[in-house]
This record gives sequence, C-alpha cells and structure tokens, in this order.
Amino acid sequence: MTPLRGDGFLPGLRSRLGSGRPAVGLRRFGGLRRSRPLLAGPTEQAPKRIVSWGLASIVDAGLILGVVTMLCGLAGIGDDSVDAAVFSCVGAAGAALAAVAQRRVAPPERPGAGRVFAGIGLLWTALVLFGAVLYAGTGALARFDDALVESAAGFTTTAVTLLDVGEVSRTVLLFRSATSWVGGLMALLIGVVTLPVVLRSTALIGYTTGRRGLDLVPSAEVGTRRVLILYSGFTAACVVAYLACGLGVTDALVVGLGSASTGGFTGRVDSLAGFGSAVHAVAGVGMFLAGAGIFVVWWVVRGRVRPLWRSQELRTFLLLIAVATVAVGVHRDIGWGEAGFMAVSMMSTTGFAVADWTGWGPSATVVMLVAAGIGSMMGSPGGGMRVMRARLLMGSAGGELRRQLDPYALVLVRRDGETLSRRTLDRLGGHQIAYVVLVGVGALLLGISGVSMLGSVWGSVSAVSTVGPAMGEIGAFGQLGDLGRPARLALVPLMMGGRMSIPPLLAGVGLLLRTYQAAERRARYRMSRRSVSEESGNGDG
Amino acid sequence: MYRFPTPSAAGLGQGPHWRKFSSTTLHVTGIALVAVSVGLLACTLLEVLTTGRDTAALALSTLLAGTAGAVLWYLTRPGTVGKRQIFATVAWTWVLTTGVGAVPYVLAGTFATGGAGFVEQVVNSVFESASGFSCTGSTVMADFDNAGRGLMMYRQLTQWYGGMGVVVLAVSVLPFLGVGGLDLISAEAPGPNSDRLTPRVSETARRLWIVYAGFTALAAVALFAADGFSSVYDAVAHAFTVASTGGFSVYPDSIGHYGSVAVETVVIVFMILGGASFTLHWRAVATRRLPHCHNSEFRAYLLLLGLCSAAVAALLWATGGLSPGSSLRAGVFNAVSLGTSTGFGNASGPGSAGDYVAWVAGAQLVLLLLMVVGGCTGSTAGGIKVMRMQVLAVVMVRSLRQAQAPRAVIPVRFGRDLITEGVVSQVAGFFLLHFLLVIGGLLVVTALGGELETSLGAVVSALGNMGPALGEAGPTANYADAFSQPARLSLALLMIIGRLEILPILLAVVPHVYRARALTRVLRR
Repeated sequence: MTPLRGDGFLPGLRSRLGSGRPAVGLRRFGGLRRSRPLLAGPTEQAPKRIVSWGLASIVDAGLILGVVTMLCGLAGIGDDSVDAAVFSCVGAAGAALAAVAQRRVAPPERPGAGRVFAGIGLLWTALVLFGAVLYAGTGALARFDDALVESAAGFTTTAVTLLDVGEVSRTVLLFRSATSWVGGLMALLIGVVTLPVVLRSTALIGYTTGRRGLDLVPSAEVGTRRVLILYSGFTAACVVAYLACGLGVTDALVVGLGSASTGGFTGRVDSLAGFGSAVHAVAGVGMFLAGAGIFVVWWVVRGRVRPLWRSQELRTFLLLIAVATVAVGVHRDIGWGEAGFMAVSMMSTTGFAVADWTGWGPSATVVMLVAAGIGSMMGSPGGGMRVMRARLLMGSAGGELRRQLDPYALVLVRRDGETLSRRTLDRLGGHQIAYVVLVGVGALLLGISGVSMLGSVWGSVSAVSTVGPAMGEIGAFGQLGDLGRPARLALVPLMMGGRMSIPPLLAGVGLLLRTYQAAERRARYRMSRRSVSEESGNGDG
Repeated sequence: MYRFPTPSAAGLGQGPHWRKFSSTTLHVTGIALVAVSVGLLACTLLEVLTTGRDTAALALSTLLAGTAGAVLWYLTRPGTVGKRQIFATVAWTWVLTTGVGAVPYVLAGTFATGGAGFVEQVVNSVFESASGFSCTGSTVMADFDNAGRGLMMYRQLTQWYGGMGVVVLAVSVLPFLGVGGLDLISAEAPGPNSDRLTPRVSETARRLWIVYAGFTALAAVALFAADGFSSVYDAVAHAFTVASTGGFSVYPDSIGHYGSVAVETVVIVFMILGGASFTLHWRAVATRRLPHCHNSEFRAYLLLLGLCSAAVAALLWATGGLSPGSSLRAGVFNAVSLGTSTGFGNASGPGSAGDYVAWVAGAQLVLLLLMVVGGCTGSTAGGIKVMRMQVLAVVMVRSLRQAQAPRAVIPVRFGRDLITEGVVSQVAGFFLLHFLLVIGGLLVVTALGGELETSLGAVVSALGNMGPALGEAGPTANYADAFSQPARLSLALLMIIGRLEILPILLAVVPHVYRARALTRVLRR
C-alpha cells in the first residue's frame, strides 16, 4: 500500500484542483492546525490554511453536491422555472464556494481516528442541513422540520418521504434522488477509501473491507478515482437500462439514481408497483449489484471470476437472499417473483416495493425484518448490520459454544482466509451491541411519539438499516404522512446513526461537547482575567 | 473430566455399586422426581382435605413419579462427569422432569375443556408443566374452576421447585460431590457464575434451599397478613410463586383478584427481593448486615426498576387518561412484575388500568426492555440478567472508545473488579445467542401461525421466563387462544432453554453438530 500523508476525503479530486498538501510547519492552534504551503515564494505572504479533516471533507463533498444540484436545476428547465433557477444558482454558487474553499482548507497530515469520525459526523450533518435548507427555501416542504426529515432520508439512502411526488417539480424530484446518490457516494468513499486507507487501522474491522480492499484501493487517490468512475458508470448503466425498458427520462433518472445508491426513491407513490416486469427485473439486478457492493462491481467489470467465487460474504449474501425468497415465496398468495424482488430489496436495504408486502402475513414480514436488519455487503452504499459482520458474529457465537465445552479450545474465526483475533471480535461485538441499543432506543422514541408497537420496532430497524418502508404507520411504500411530527423527527437521528455506523455519531456529539467545554473554559478564563484586571485597576486607583 | 468418588472408593460404605448403571443424568433425574413426588403427596393430601376432585389423579401421579424416581435413584450411580455430561445432565433432567410433571394434568383432565382432544390435552399439559418448572408463568388454563385445590397447589409448587432448581435440589442430597457438583449448579443457576457459600458443594446447595424456603415462608406470612388473614391457601399458593418469581396464580385475574393495595405492595417487595441474588440474602442472614447496598448489580437493578416504573407511570398519566395514583399503581406493579420476570398482573379485566396490552406503545416497549433484561444473577429471575447488561454496556463503551483510539488498552471493570477477556467474550456470546434465539423463535412461532406482535412478546417472554406477553397473549388472556399446538410446544421448549440460560440445551446438541461437520470434512477428503 502506498504510504499516504495528508489525504483527505477526496484526494484525487483535491490534487487535480491543485490545492496542495500541508507538509511542514504544522502546529496546533485551538483544535485546528495552521500551516504554510510548501512552495510559497520567499517574498509573498504565505496564505493561511485551516487544517481540519472535517472541514476539508465538507468542502470536497460540497463541490460534488453543488455540481449535482446545479445539474438537477438545469434538468428541470422547462418544467418549473423558479425551482430550476433556484437549484441551478444555488448549486453553481455552492460549487464555486467549495472550489475556492478547497484552497483555504486542507486535511491534516495524519488524522487521528477520533477526528476522522467526528469529521464524518459533521459531514453528514452539513449535507442534511444543506438539503433541508433547499427543500424549505424552495417551498417544496413548508416546514423546516419536514424538510430536515426529507433531506436526512435522502442523504442516508432511506426510502421514506414526505413529498407529494405528484405535486412537486421535476427539479425537486431529481434533487431528492440525487441526495440519495450523493449519500451513497459518500458512504462508499468513507467505507472503502477513508477508513481503511486513511486510518490504516486493523482495529476498525467493523468498518473496513479487509485485504480485498487492496485490490480496488491501492492508494487513496487511485481508490477515490476508481470508486467515482465505477459508481457513476454503474448509475449510468442503470439509467440506460431503465430507458431501454421504456421509462421516461425523468423516471429513468430518478429510479436509476435510487437503484445505484440503494436509496429507493421513485417518482410514484406506489414505488415500482405500477411499472412493468422488465423494470422490476432491471431494478432487481441493479439492487443486487448495489447491495453486493463496489468490489463485486469491480470484479465483474474486470471479469475476475475467482474472487467472486471465493468471497465468503458474496456467497452468504446470495444464500441469504435465496433463503429469504424461499421463506417468503412458500406462502400461497405471494408470487416467487415478488418474493425474490422484495428479498433483494430488503437485503440491499434499497426499499423499492412491487406490492404492499405488509399484508403478506407475520412469518413473511419477519423474514423481511431479518433481511433488513442484516442488510448489504461491505463496500456497498446500503446499510444494515452488514453480511460480513453478521457472519463473523455467528462464528464468534459458535466459538463461544465450543469454548464452553473446552475452555482451552483454539477457535479461529476467519474472514476470506484472514484469521481475526479474539480482541477484534470483541470489538466487533461491542459495535453490534451499540447497533442493537440504537434500534432499541429508536423503538422507544417512536413508541413514546405515539407510533404503534409494531410500527415502532419495525420503523426503528428500518430507519437504522436505512431501508425505509416498514410495517405499521410507515407502510410498504415509505410514506411518512401518517406519522406525527415527533415520530418523524425521531427518525432523523436513527437514519443518521445507521448511516454513519454509530461511532461517528458519538464522536460528533463528543466533539460538539468538547468544543462547548473549551468555549466555556475560554469564557471563564476571560472572565477571571477581566476580574483580575478590574481588581488590579481598583487597587491602583 | 471429573469423577464422583463412590462411597466405597472413599471408604465410607460398602454397597453393590458395581451392579448399578453408571449415569449421572438418570441418577439426578431420579432424585428430582422423588422430590417432585414428595410435593405431589402433599398436594394429594390437600386435595383429599379440600375439594377432593382430583385426588385419584394426584395419587396416581405421586405413585408414578415416586416409583420412577426411586427406581432411577437406586439403580443408577453418578458416573464420569465431563463438561459435556454436565450440560447433558442438566438439560435432560429438566426435559424429563417437565415431561413427568405434565402427568397430573393429563390424568386429571385439566385441559379437557372446550372439546379438546387427547393430543391437545397432552400439549397443553406439557406447556403448563414447562411454564411451571421454568418459572415462566404463561398459562393455557382457561377454566380455573376445572381444577381442585390440590392440583392448583401442585401447579404453584412446580414453580417453587423450578425457582431454585431441581438439579440444585438433587445436588444438595448427593454426598461427596467435588468440582463437578459446582459445575452442575453453575449450569442450572441463573447468571454467569455461582458462588460457593461453603467449601462443600452439597452444603452450599442445601443452604441455598434453606434461605429459599425461609424466604417463601416469610412471603406467605406477609401475604396472609396483607390479605386480612383470610386465606392460608391463597397466601401459601402465592408465596410459592412470588419467591420463585414464577407468576402463577390460583385466580384467572392473578393479583388483580384482590384489588388490594396492601397485597400488591407486599407482592412488589417480595418480587424485588426474589429478583435479587439469594447468595446476598444468605449473607445478610448470616452476617446480620446488608451486603446488598455494596453490590453494584443490585444497585443497578433497583435503579433500572425505579426508572422504568417512573417512566411507565409518567407515560400512563400523560397518555392513558388515568389518575396519577392509578398510573403509579399500574405502572410500578407491572414494571416490577415484568422486570423481575414474575409475571403477576393487577388487571381486573381486559381494558382495565393494569392491562398493559391497552397501554401506549412506549410504555409497552419499556416493559419489553425490562422483560429482556430480567433480574440479578443468582436469583430465581430470568432474562439476560442485570450483571450481563452492565458488562455489555461497558464493552460497548470500550469498543466505541477504541474505534476512536484504536491502540488504547481499556480494561473492563465491574464495580471495583477487573473482568477478564474470557468473561467478556462469554457475556457477548450469550447476548448474541439470546438475540439469535429470539429471531429464530420469532420465525418459528410466526410460521406456525402466530400473530406478529403477540409472537414477539411471547418469544421474549418465554426466553426470559416472564409469563404474560403482548397482543393476544397479554395479562388477561391465555396462550391457548393465541397460538397453535406446535407453536405452544415451541414456546415450551424456549421456556426451558431460557430457564437453563441457553447453553445446556444447545451444548447437548452442538457436539453432534461438530461431529457431523468433522464427518463431512472426512467425506470431502
């Protein structure tokens, strides 16, 4: 692996834009680092740079989001000129601002895990706020809290909505799908590039992709470029396939962006139920590949059969989909096609629906719940516990049973031939406990907010897994209209917690607390200085 | 591998041990059945003296259980006790005792109501027996008037036996037990560890039973006084199930039958004490001090019960349209009842203040959380246990801190003690297995026709040995209406798995799985 220093969120993009890297002269200053550029001329005043991983990642993501927003606005010209103009202008201004800011903000040389997690938390918060401001500003949603929920659902790739899709303009419809596309891209870059390569820590086993990541991501720069190309190419392929199935351009774009990102948004109230079987087939394949992750797409593109076959996670993913399909399909009134589609939709945490599956009976819905809870593969923009983690935890539980019989037994748990230490597995277990706790707290919040018992449990699992549709009030098509405002707002931290895999959420909260404490300390210090100076002034007098 | 020294080997007696069949499982089962037959005999006498309806069934059951137990006890001797045998012994003892425990119900025709066939009667009897011995308290009994007082007392007594454990009872009368005896107790006792009260294991088991019996007697006296000295039968019957945190009642509306704040208060106090460690109770009696105050698990247990009771009462007051007093009464009673895994109800009927199925979802979810957590280690309560939850919380925080500082070495502490990584792995593994069993149980029960919300509540309730569940199996309903016969049998199995804390039953199966896997590997080669 190429040694990396000073790589931020999008190192490839950053180097092409020539922002440079801070390499020397670093010193800590109030939580941020300031440095001067390496090639600054002897006579010119060195521009001061803010060195912060969080800010740098927000600026990089802002550039992409700005461009995407502008494109959504341009695509809407001719439908609703006000929305199109607002989105185009805001997108262009945002992109320009981000491009300028890239020259002023740089990532640190060696970012610590805590700062990276806090940065990830800040990044998602900034994205969600940007989307909420746009929704509320353009009047697509009248209230800011509703706009916040819609934006969070988009960026976290959760297929729940408050928008009346029949009423909103094409620009807003496209922007909603684009938020899930950008969210999916961010999730991919964080999971595939940032955490494994920038942090380079085996302790982050729950977040990284292991050795097979080296194939796709030999370095941060190359990895970022490849991920961008693969993700964009895959999205384009989905859109073309939908166009070939006879969908209109807007529908093809909306559903294509929703398929590639596992976002699950469509331009209709009944998701994909009103479309034909060809669209369902394309969506099924798209969801499967998106849920299988960027590595599988990479291997498919490169024509590598061996890694595909040898991937334990892919085999387990396929097996789970098959089992879920059979478990649902054995019911008399459910077709095998519908069962298979919904199994893939839940496992990939996309949330597309071809029927109102909430009426399929208890056992089928439990299968759906379990599938949504397990979720997609590592390296996918989808959510959930992840197939690999579930597999490792099963191995760990089996090992514990074995140790009960023989306390000195050497039980090895492997991941694609790589043996994991007991300490690593314990950490993974800790993360999964946090996942269960988040689901439990979410269910409690929803329950207190007036949601039914079943709706609370299902809704919490679905939100944390970033699926969207759920039993109860939310329903098979992810409409939040029946939920009360407290319940809708309760979904926001759940979706974001599920999207960020918990530690960034806590690190973000921790950072905010630390910042608040530092500000409080500074204020106290100033107060004490002032009182001392006043006292000395009085004394002099 | 441990060996029980025989009396002859220890030089303390000469007997025909060479003729006896060596089986620890059958030997311990024999002792357990003899103990059950003693209880059955007492219930037969009660039946003769009171209603007299089920005398023949109880007498025959006494004879069957006593004879079978005596024969097994006499003809067998404890054999080699390895880890696998210990788990197998505990698992099979419980399965066999539950099976024999169902005989009185079948013979008395307790479930022959509503045109139930013989198979359904047997299924219901096994369910009721499993619910009794595992201290769960779920019932399929629809007509409480169809059983005599003796049989009802037997039903209560099964929970009392199951509370401290039939294997602990057997160990208390088995002489010359070494480490294997402690392992037997550990395999049956709730919680991750078993404390030795004395150097001798049988003496430890005996003391546990003494403090348990004393606690039950105290509960009986308190209930008798709180009920206005009206019925000894009621007081003793409920004392058996409050001490064991079982939750069976002789009335269909459980404690709600009395409608008395005094009775409910006494029941709450004894439920809380029943959900605490009996080792602590013994030390309190022996030292005349209160070691409970210094026990971090007990403090966390009280804190959890207090917070959840307050939360439920506040939610009921805010959303349920109840007065503050009624909210407090209903909230505290039901939170403590489910938090200690007892399962008593104080609802006077469907839709009344104590019927938590009619409460807001948030309050029901708090109760569900309490059902999952359960009581303290070393108590008669079920659930995951407070101590395990404390360890899991510390592990979770540690793992989140390590995600931010990957090289940090952060020890896990419980109170002032350091917890080894082995225990941490064990606790995490247990939690995971519990979680998997909930999912698996839910899949099975819903596939067998259960409604989703009811099935979720019933599976959590069965694994945590609570009793009443949610939905159609709430505190004022019974399981026969909510679940099919195969689903009821599955839930009965889950109750035993939950009572034995999963491992013994699974480990009775796992070796075969490993053997099968090894065979598969050989065949592949």
